[in-house]
Amino acid sequence: MSQPLLELRNLTTVFPTRRGLVRAVDGLDLTVREGEKLGIVGESGSGKSVTLLSILRLVPPPGRIVAGDVLFRGESLLAKSSSEMRRVRGRKIAMIFQDPMTTLNPVFRVGEQIRESLRIHGLVDGRGRARRRAEIERVIQVLNDVGIPYPEESLRRYPHEFSGGMQQRAIIAIALSCEPQLLLADEPTTALDVTIQAQILDLLERINRERGMGIILVTHNLGVVAEFCDTIAIMYAGQIMEKGATEEVTTEPLHPYTRGLLRCLPRIYGKREKIRPIPGLVPDLATLPPGCPFAPRCDVVRPECREDRRIPLKEVEPGRWVRCLLY
Amino acid sequence: MIAHIWYPLSIRIRLLGRGLAEFLRELRGHPSALIGGFIVLLYLAAALFAPYLAPHDPEVGDPRASLTPPAWSAGGNPAYPLGTDFQGRDILSRIIFGSRVSLGVGVVTVAISAFVGTALGCVAGYYRGWIDGVLSRLADLLLAWPFLIFAIGVMAFLGPGLSNLIAALTFKSWVEFFRLSRGEMLAEKTKEYVDAARVVGQPDLIIIVSEILPNIVHSILVLATLRMGYMIIMEASLSFLGLGVPPHIPAWGSMVNQGRDFLFVAPWISTLPGLAILVLVLSINLFGEGLRDILDPRLKIE
Amino acid sequence: MRAAKVLERVLITIPIMLGVAVMVFIFMRLTPGDPVDIMMGEMVGISDAEMEAMRREFNLDKPIHVQLWLFLTDVLRGDLGTSFVKRVPVAELILAHLPATIELAVGALFFGLAISIPIGILSAVKQYSILDRASMAGAFLGVSMPSFWLGLILILFFSVKLGVLPVQGRIDHDVGLQEVTGFYVLDSILTGNRAALVSALRHLVLPSVTLGATLAAIVARVLRSSLVEILRADYITLARAKGQVEFLVIMKHGVRNALIPTVTVVGLQVGALLGGNMVVETVFGWPGLGRLVVSAIFNRDFPLVQGAVMTYAFTYVIANLLVDVLYTYLNPKITL
Repeated sequence: MSQPLLELRNLTTVFPTRRGLVRAVDGLDLTVREGEKLGIVGESGSGKSVTLLSILRLVPPPGRIVAGDVLFRGESLLAKSSSEMRRVRGRKIAMIFQDPMTTLNPVFRVGEQIRESLRIHGLVDGRGRARRRAEIERVIQVLNDVGIPYPEESLRRYPHEFSGGMQQRAIIAIALSCEPQLLLADEPTTALDVTIQAQILDLLERINRERGMGIILVTHNLGVVAEFCDTIAIMYAGQIMEKGATEEVTTEPLHPYTRGLLRCLPRIYGKREKIRPIPGLVPDLATLPPGCPFAPRCDVVRPECREDRRIPLKEVEPGRWVRCLLY
Repeated sequence: MIAHIWYPLSIRIRLLGRGLAEFLRELRGHPSALIGGFIVLLYLAAALFAPYLAPHDPEVGDPRASLTPPAWSAGGNPAYPLGTDFQGRDILSRIIFGSRVSLGVGVVTVAISAFVGTALGCVAGYYRGWIDGVLSRLADLLLAWPFLIFAIGVMAFLGPGLSNLIAALTFKSWVEFFRLSRGEMLAEKTKEYVDAARVVGQPDLIIIVSEILPNIVHSILVLATLRMGYMIIMEASLSFLGLGVPPHIPAWGSMVNQGRDFLFVAPWISTLPGLAILVLVLSINLFGEGLRDILDPRLKIE
Repeated sequence: MRAAKVLERVLITIPIMLGVAVMVFIFMRLTPGDPVDIMMGEMVGISDAEMEAMRREFNLDKPIHVQLWLFLTDVLRGDLGTSFVKRVPVAELILAHLPATIELAVGALFFGLAISIPIGILSAVKQYSILDRASMAGAFLGVSMPSFWLGLILILFFSVKLGVLPVQGRIDHDVGLQEVTGFYVLDSILTGNRAALVSALRHLVLPSVTLGATLAAIVARVLRSSLVEILRADYITLARAKGQVEFLVIMKHGVRNALIPTVTVVGLQVGALLGGNMVVETVFGWPGLGRLVVSAIFNRDFPLVQGAVMTYAFTYVIANLLVDVLYTYLNPKITL
C-alpha cells in the first residue's frame, strides 16, 4: 500500500478553561489514503471540528496541540514553520465550514474571495491585467465546476445575494480553486435544506471521483456518512470509539455507542423499529469520569469500565478498530 | 376591574423585589461597578448634606484669604483644605454645594427624559399610525442637532437659570429614550405573551404598563444611567460657557470658568472642580457599564 | 442601485434642513418677551422710532406665519440677516469664522482617528494584554472627561510647566502669514511660509487633542469591541485556512468589516465634535464660529446666534449625509 495522504498520530489538543484542562482531541490516530473519503461522526462537543482545525494548526487560542503529530504525505505539519504551514493551507489541504452564511466575508464579492486564494498561492502566472484576466477565467471555471449558474455574473455578487446552497458551493469553489489534495469538510450540509444537502454531497462525491481528492467529512449525521464515506470513525469525548469500513461499521456495529447512534436513525425502508435515544447527555469534557468516557450512558457497562485507566483502541479484525472492553 | 388591573401589577412588583435582590447579588461580581456605585453614593450624600458638610459659606468669601492654595502645598491654610478662589471663597465648600447642581440637573433631566421618552416611545411603538409618524419625525429633527449646540441655542434665547437649563437639556434628551423604547416596543409587541394578554381582554394601557414595560425597563434603566454622566458633562459645559446656572450659584462648570483667569497663579480653582466632575462621571459610567453587563448585555451605547 | 440609494438619502436631508430652520425660528420665539426689547434693553437713549424700525427689520410687526415664510425664504437665499451688534451680514461673519472652526475640527478628527484606530486594532488583536487593558482604561477615562477640563490640564502641563506649546490663538502674529483660504495650515503651505506653518501647527496641537480626545476614546472602544467579535467569525478562520498571512487576515478581512460600525459611531461623534468645538474654542481663545456664538449670546445678538446655530446644525446634517454615503460603500448589505 502506498504512503497515506494524511496520518494523525496520537494527536492531542487541549483547551485550558476555568474548570480545568479540556482534552478536546485526546490521542487521536487516523489515516486517510489518497482519494479516500473518511467520515468522522460524533455528537456536538466530541472534538470533531477541533480535529480538523488541529490538522491545519488553526486551533483558536487558548487551545493548543500538546502531543502527537500530523503527517501529510509523511511530512510533519507540526514541525513546519508558520510560513511553510501557510503554503499548506488552501494549497495542499483546504477546508469548508458548517455555516455558509457566516463563512464568506460579507464585504467582498464572491469572485474576489475565490481569487484571493489564487493570489495567495501565486497559482496564476503573468503580470498586471493579463494575470488578472487569467485569474478571473480560473475563477469562472471553478464556479462552473461547483455548479454555480452564470459564473460571469455570479462572481460579481456579494455573499448575501446568494442562497445558502449557493454560498456553500462558493465556499467549495474557494477550497477547490488551488486544487488541494485533501479537503476537510466540517459539517458542510448541516445548515442546509435536505434537498440542497443531497446536491452538496453529490458535488463532493464528484470532486472526489474526478480529482481523486481525499476528503474528511465531519458530521453528526450517521446517515450522511453511511451514504458518502469509504471509512468511518466514531468519536466520543475526543477519542475514537470505533473505526472501520463504512459498510462494516454500519451493518455490524461493535461499540455500544455506535449501536446507540444507529438506533437513533429513523428508518424509512424495512422493518419499523422504535427510535431509542441514548440515555444521558454529551459529557462535560472538563469533568470526565475515570475509565471509559461512555460508561455513564452505556447499557452494557461493567465495573472494570469505570476503573481509572485508558481503554485501548484494539484492532479486532484487519482495519477494524474498537475501543471497548467487550472485545 | 380593580383586581383586573391590580393583580398583574402586584405580581410585577413582587418580581421586581426578587429581581432587585438578585441584582445586588450579581453586582458583587462587578467590583468596578460596585466602587462606582459607592462613589456616586458619596456624592449624593455630599449633595444632600451640603450645609452640614461644607466648612464655609460657598457664596461668601473672606477677601483676606483670596487665592489661598490647597492645604498640602506651600502657603496653604488647613482652614481651606482645597484652597480658595479670588474672592476668598472656600473651594471645598463650593465643590460640595456644586454637587447639588450637577446631580440635581443630571437626575431631574434624565428622570423627565426617561419618563416622557419612554411613555411616548411605548405609545408610538404600540399604536404605530399617525402618532408614531409625527413623533418619529420630531425625533429625526431633534437628532439633526448636535446635543450641545441645541442646548446652547435654547439657552441663548431662554436666558440662564436652573429650570431653563433643565428644559434645554430635556428638550433633546428624551429622544434617546423614545427611540429605545419604541424599538423595544415594536419587538415585544409581536411576541405571544402580548397576544395572550390581548385575547384575555386586558386594556391596552394595562398591556403596555404591566405586561410589556417590565420586559423593556432594564434597557431603559441602563440607558438612563449611562445618559446621566453625559447630562452632567453637558450641564458643566453650559455652565462653563456661562450659559448654565447663574454665576453666584456654585456649579462645577462655572467654577472652572471663573478659575481660568487665574490658571497660572492659582490652578486649583479650575482643576479641582473639574476633577470632581471627572470622578463623578467616571463613577456613574462604571456603575452604568456594570449595570449593562448584568441587566442588558445587548445594549451598547455609542 | 447604490446611486439611487445615495440620491434618496440626499433628498431626505431637504425636509430635515427645513425642519432645522423652522426650529431655529421657534427658538427665537422662546425668548420671554420681545426680542427687540431684550436686545435693546441695555442700550440707553433709543427712541421708539428706532425700536419700531428694528421690529420691522425682524419682521416682528407681521403675523407669525408671514414671519416664518419670510425667514425661510431668506435662509434659502443665504440671507441670515444682519448682526445686531456688528451691523454686518450674519452670513459674512459666519463665513469669515468658519475656516478656523473647520481647521480645528479637521485637526481633532485627524488626531482622534490617528490615535484610536491603531489602538483599537492592537487592543482587539492582543485582547486582555497590558496594552489592551491600559488603553481601554484610558478610553474609559476619555469618555468621562469634560473637554474644557482636559484643555486646561493640557495647557497647565504643556504650556505652563513644559513651556513647549502656545496657550492661546491660532498663530503667532509676527510670522506674517498672508491669508488665502483662511485655513492657516493650508495658507502657510501655499505661500511657502515655513515659520507660519510651524506656528500654525504648534497652535493647533492642544486644541485638536482636547477636541479629539472623546472621539478617540469612543472610536477606540467601538473598533476594539467590534473587531474582537469579528475576529471570531468563520470568515476569519476561512481566510486563515486559505493560507493568508495573519497581517492581512486582520487588516483586510477583520478591520474592513469592523470599520462598518466604527464609521457609524464616527458620524454620531461629529455632533459631539461640533458641540465641543464651542467649549474648546473658548478654552484656547480660538477665533472660530464657537467663540463668535458665545460672544453673540452675551451681546444678545440674536440674528447672529440664530444664523450660527443653524450653520452648526446644517453642518451636522451634511456630515451625517457624508457618513451615510460612505457607509453604503463600506457595507454592501445596506439599506439606507
